[in-house]
Amino acid sequence: MLDPIFQIMDSIAPVSWLGPEFMKRAFLALLFIGVACSAMGVLVVNFRMAFFSDAISHSAFTGVAIGILFGVNPMITLVVLGLLVGFGVTRLKEHSDLPTDTIIGVTFSLAVALGIVIISAKRALSRTLEAFLYGNVLAVSDVEVTMMALLLLAVIVFLGLSYNRLFLIGINDSLAQTRGVKVKVYNYIFAAVLALVVTVSIRVVGMLLVTAMLIVPAACARNLARSAGAMFWYSIIVGLISAVAGLALSFKLDTSTGATVILVAGILFILTYPVRMIMERN
Amino acid sequence: MSDSGLACETGSEHAHRNGEQTHRIELRDVSVRIGSISILHDINAVMRCGEVTAIIGPNGAGKSTLLKAIMGLIPYTGEVRFCAEHQCGAGRPNIGYVPQYLDFDRGTPITVLDFLSLKDQRKPLWLGHKKEMKEAALESLGWAGAAHLISRPLGRLSGGETQRVMLAFALLGTPDIILLDEPVSGVDAAGEEIFAELLRKLQAQRHFTVVLVSHDLSVVTRHADQVICLNKTIHCMGGAIEVLTPENLSRLYGPHVGLHFHPNGVGPDPYA
Repeated sequence: MLDPIFQIMDSIAPVSWLGPEFMKRAFLALLFIGVACSAMGVLVVNFRMAFFSDAISHSAFTGVAIGILFGVNPMITLVVLGLLVGFGVTRLKEHSDLPTDTIIGVTFSLAVALGIVIISAKRALSRTLEAFLYGNVLAVSDVEVTMMALLLLAVIVFLGLSYNRLFLIGINDSLAQTRGVKVKVYNYIFAAVLALVVTVSIRVVGMLLVTAMLIVPAACARNLARSAGAMFWYSIIVGLISAVAGLALSFKLDTSTGATVILVAGILFILTYPVRMIMERN
Repeated sequence: MSDSGLACETGSEHAHRNGEQTHRIELRDVSVRIGSISILHDINAVMRCGEVTAIIGPNGAGKSTLLKAIMGLIPYTGEVRFCAEHQCGAGRPNIGYVPQYLDFDRGTPITVLDFLSLKDQRKPLWLGHKKEMKEAALESLGWAGAAHLISRPLGRLSGGETQRVMLAFALLGTPDIILLDEPVSGVDAAGEEIFAELLRKLQAQRHFTVVLVSHDLSVVTRHADQVICLNKTIHCMGGAIEVLTPENLSRLYGPHVGLHFHPNGVGPDPYA
């Protein structure tokens, strides 16, 4: 299915580590997910929603367990449960005066506990779960790569239409309301898109590190950027560098690809941190 | 309400000149409750076109809540009507709002131009600023005396600078009504007077309706056409000189409550 694209890749980047087809698929998957995550990450960081994304990724654990238990493709149950948790937290936030982190903590522990109960009853499930826990980008299929390309497209359209409004909500929501921005509606749409990005990315970096894929490039971008536009582009550049360098390094060192990508992003964060300190002093 | 009609007519002359409309705000039996607690009750008032109405009252009197009800940000009972010339309730006016504090994450990378662009620009900021948007932002900042701040990071501005940028944000897109919630709470007394004068000058030129929540009675005396004393409900209403009497003030704030008065203020001294 992706053969024509693979041929193009061979002709423009004939490097040895991109030789095997599984590496080409992994490269494309990381490219799409890296950009989608780092673009969404800008808003996740500015909205302080890292813990929210953690809740969605950890609930995926249960999504996968339920899928396997009932013989449904775990990718489907994972996305559905991720969306449910995203909407559930958003709704509770709206209707309860409990602190947001408490609401997220309760929802997410409940989801994880359910997953563990299911797995402990069916021990044979644990092997399949490992692939979702740590991610396995080297095993993605053509269909999954196509799905990730579509997800990236959706994220770009979403951020093209609503980046400004979401940014204004992030700055001050009453100011956004006076501009006629439907803050509640945007909160739900944002939760849905974020849940999709998180659950699809789990296949690539694993549920333990998917939040890192969202926030580390955006955190680097916050170290470097002075404007809302620049933060977006810096985040994507850091996401892309981490994805490509991480894949190449993991191939050479024979390490887990997802974790290596995050490690590269983490090093970039450490390198960009002093830039922020210098900017603040001036 | 015949005098409010007159005020509107001067406003509408201006409107015919500039193609703008000024608006009158009418409040009828407006009440706000949160759960079983009554925050505001039986508010009946008219904020006239092209005038400055000041709302004064102690902390917790419901001043900010009243502004939020006018903007439709919170549920209320009763009626809030916007009237342009002789027509009421036809379409929502463009309201510019200056909040008490801009409570936001000061580390967010956003310039003053970015912030102003968020008000009206649909093109995502990661594709740059529209040329018209930049011109409009510069003009608005110019009105607020803050054109030099356009490329500064929003999180690094002083209290007074932030207030000017917030005023510029409110002025963008030719508002009909400007609501200011203690716009000078982060500013010293001198800054407050400058801000009030700036607002008066703008209001005289652009003729919008201004509703101002203030603690500073000398600013109110000098700049407001109408004063509303609020504490859960309206206690007094009228021109500054007739309303700001020692009796009214001690009834509103309680006796011997410290009030903001400039030492050089020209307003009536509540302790006289």
